[in-house]
Amino acid sequence: MQKEDIEKIKKKFLKEFESTETSKERKKVCKKYMEEELSSVFASLKNLSGESKAEVGKAANEFKHFILSQKESEKKETQEQSKLDVTLPGKEPRLGSIHPLTKLQKRCEKIFTRMGFVVADGPEMENEWYNFDALNFKEDHPVREMQDTFFIKQEDREKLSSKEKLLMRTHTSPVQARYMEKNGPPLRIIVPGRVFRNEATDSSHEINFYQIEGLMVGKDVSVANFKAVMGSFFRQLFEGNVEIRLRPSYFPFTEPSFETDVSCSICEKKGCSVCDQTGWTEIMGAGMVHPRVLENAKIDPTEFSGFAFGMGVDRIAAIERKIDDARLFYSGDLRFLKQF
Amino acid sequence: MKFSYNFLQSFFKEKLPTPEELASLLMMHFFEVEEVKKVGKDYVLDIDILSSRAGDCLSHMGVAREISAITGMKYEWPNTDIKSGKTEIEDQISVNVRNACSRYVLSGVEGLNVKKSPAYIQNRLRTCGLKPINNVVDIVNYVMLETGQPLHAFDAEKIEGEKISVRYARKREKIVTLEEKRLELNESVLVISDKQSAIGVAGIKGGIVPEVDENTKTIYLEAANFDPKVIRRGSRDIGIRTDASLRFEHGVPLEFAKIASDRVVSLITKIAGGRAMKGRIDQSFEEEKEREITFDAEEVRNILGTEVPLKKMEKILRALEFKVQRNESSFSVKIPFFRKDVERKEDVVEEIGRIYGYENIEPCQPKESIVVSQEKEEENIEDLCKNMWQGFGFSESYNYSFINETGASFYQKDNLLEVEKPVSLEFKYLRPSLLPELLRNLKENEKTFEEVMIFEIGKIFYKSSNNSAKEEKKLGIISSSDDFYSLKGKINVFLSNLFVGDISYSSYEKEDIFDGLRSATVSLNGEVIGNFGEISEKTRNKLKIKSKAVIADFDFERLLEFYKETKTYEPIARFPSVIRDLSVLVFGETRYIEVAEKIRKEGGKTLKELTLFDVYEGEELGKNRKSFAFRLYFQDKGKTLSAETINKLQEKIINALDEVSGWKVRKK
Repeated sequence: MQKEDIEKIKKKFLKEFESTETSKERKKVCKKYMEEELSSVFASLKNLSGESKAEVGKAANEFKHFILSQKESEKKETQEQSKLDVTLPGKEPRLGSIHPLTKLQKRCEKIFTRMGFVVADGPEMENEWYNFDALNFKEDHPVREMQDTFFIKQEDREKLSSKEKLLMRTHTSPVQARYMEKNGPPLRIIVPGRVFRNEATDSSHEINFYQIEGLMVGKDVSVANFKAVMGSFFRQLFEGNVEIRLRPSYFPFTEPSFETDVSCSICEKKGCSVCDQTGWTEIMGAGMVHPRVLENAKIDPTEFSGFAFGMGVDRIAAIERKIDDARLFYSGDLRFLKQF
Repeated sequence: MKFSYNFLQSFFKEKLPTPEELASLLMMHFFEVEEVKKVGKDYVLDIDILSSRAGDCLSHMGVAREISAITGMKYEWPNTDIKSGKTEIEDQISVNVRNACSRYVLSGVEGLNVKKSPAYIQNRLRTCGLKPINNVVDIVNYVMLETGQPLHAFDAEKIEGEKISVRYARKREKIVTLEEKRLELNESVLVISDKQSAIGVAGIKGGIVPEVDENTKTIYLEAANFDPKVIRRGSRDIGIRTDASLRFEHGVPLEFAKIASDRVVSLITKIAGGRAMKGRIDQSFEEEKEREITFDAEEVRNILGTEVPLKKMEKILRALEFKVQRNESSFSVKIPFFRKDVERKEDVVEEIGRIYGYENIEPCQPKESIVVSQEKEEENIEDLCKNMWQGFGFSESYNYSFINETGASFYQKDNLLEVEKPVSLEFKYLRPSLLPELLRNLKENEKTFEEVMIFEIGKIFYKSSNNSAKEEKKLGIISSSDDFYSLKGKINVFLSNLFVGDISYSSYEKEDIFDGLRSATVSLNGEVIGNFGEISEKTRNKLKIKSKAVIADFDFERLLEFYKETKTYEPIARFPSVIRDLSVLVFGETRYIEVAEKIRKEGGKTLKELTLFDVYEGEELGKNRKSFAFRLYFQDKGKTLSAETINKLQEKIINALDEVSGWKVRKK
């Protein structure tokens, strides 16, 4: 074995190495020369001596390192090739969406149930008794016409009793009456649900929308209690130290009645476009349950009192999500729905 | 209603707070002020007077009283002093009230001069949105704004006969209004009439005949109280709403007729000259009783949840003109005649609370105990369903509860509930199903999206066979990216994950929104819970829907009955299962279920699971033939199955299948 022989082997190796196509083949060539050719070269060393042994040994070692370096760069190359482009988009499963009104309603329900309220339900198609009479709306009171009610066509409607005359409920308050009849005090309920108004639609008025009604009846339930419960609710809902304020108002089924404003969580009462520069947002109608409403539900108003409130879910969702047209909620437009 | 700041100031000697300050005080203690705006040297405050206080507060006097109670400033009632002449009004004219009028006051002024009214009256009218006309008409309007009592002045010389009547209009009776608008009346419209004809629509609009003009010298002044219901109906029937009709609709306190009448006569004689006729005609058909309410301060504290000082309560009530008698903490109050809204002690508590200020009530958590509900949390199950369909790629939609004629055309009209006078024909019927609106969703969205996957949970309404109205909750699904089988797969996962019961499917076979041949009815434990399948060609053509979509319709309430949170645990098998594949050649019309049931029956308990992995219909199988490829999983709870046992069982299954005429297990 001469130094020239090693050169020949090296040339042969290079020829073979370069004629390969795959990384796997190249590895195989390296392996072959390392294990077969080189080991026979090293084996032949023992037959040599002196200067030629050192010379051939050196050449053999150089060749070995050459193969190793080839192998190494090959390895690097394969590693390089297996590296992922992490900026390529992933394969996404298809996920639908939940309606924004469902989402807000659920958040409200969670907060109230933590405060001991029970979620109650009632029919969307109501009768006049529960929608009006039981709630102290007087017969022929102008407020009955104000509410722009969807009355259901019925034969000989005039002859029917108010419990038979059907309509689409104009508020969730009838459930107050229904629930109190079945369950005596003390009670704490909320009633989320769809309500209806027979009026022309525009960006802030829909013919159907959602309300969350609340009712708490017990011994000595007071305006101060209402303020505390609502304060807790709104601080949790708006995740901040919002304040509430009550202003006088009128509803037939509460006395005293108030509008409830919440301090604007966006500008912190400084005034912004969301709160019309007032620092406050009108958010719910409320009041102490009218004694006649308690009486209608067979609850003694001298023994029990309570507060009731009702808020528009669509309106709060619109404020929170900066939705400028309430009609989008009922459009079924996937360009809208898929955002949630 | 629009209020003039200067007008309000006229009730006080002290200077009022600035218009902005006043607006914010009113908002916190009275009603919402929607706008404050400068008008010339005056300001207009637009206050939203709610119906409970329309009787006394659609007037500057009423609001002045509120301001007085809120600020503690003293206010004075307007001057109603009259110096009468010699002419007795009762010698001049008589009044005959026949219908719908609880009080009629008529006064007269003679020898007056009609000209422009003083600037302050004109300006205040303008601030409140009224147009000045002449001194007599302006004063009449001014006093309406002042007291809330609508009045009307007639030129005495233009009245035929010496009699004024209040009566219902005759059928098709005609009248021309002050604006020269011709009206044809019906018999439920109340009119003021002279001997000849109607000279005014009572409480709504004056007629042109007895109009007060620059030549008028003598007037009769009407201050009446008409039945609110009659005015409301009349105003609706003739399509005219006025400042007067608005007030009458809400009811005006009886006493105001006389007070306002005197006030007008007092102002006219001062401003337009002339002499007041002596006396007045005053016919009253009702009497208002003074009401008295007693309560204890403790009751106020219980409702408000705060202690209002006794003296403070007394002061508030007196400022609102309640007559208060107090013995320690026990109150007895007489309600002023103009406060018809105050009927019981809770109403009095509201007066105390709002004037005292709700901002002065410290929040306090309720002490009342919490009652744990025993009711089924249906809402939670609904959430689980929604989340699952969202997971399948569907978006939740909220649609209207109403449908139009097109939507209704899919249903028997007799079964639909119809709305009285809907604002739009889009909302003519209550939806008897979620499907029409979901189809609309598909149609609208397929313009933008290739794949439309939508679901909705909502109420539907219909008339049942015994003619009673029904309301039910449904789950509706529509998808243009699924076919029958992929939707069926999702439905099966949905049902088997959330509900307990044997699921079975049968052909739908009716032809409606669904394609009867390509749709199925789903049952749980034999009870029908819904339908799903392809939309019929007819439906798609009718609605011009492009995509070949599938839909589903579930009875949600019935579905809920099958919900079970805690399914029983089935022990994990300790011995391995063995898999065998089997391919069965059958007729083209043979249904999968027939073959599968046969295999299950023969396989018995040891056949743990059976899946179908291929259905093949190739020409080489022969005409009208197909083959089902099954995978069978054998497993025993107690031991490892030997090859021999399985071979025997497989043999048994194959024999049973082969025995069926025309079926053949294909040997590999």
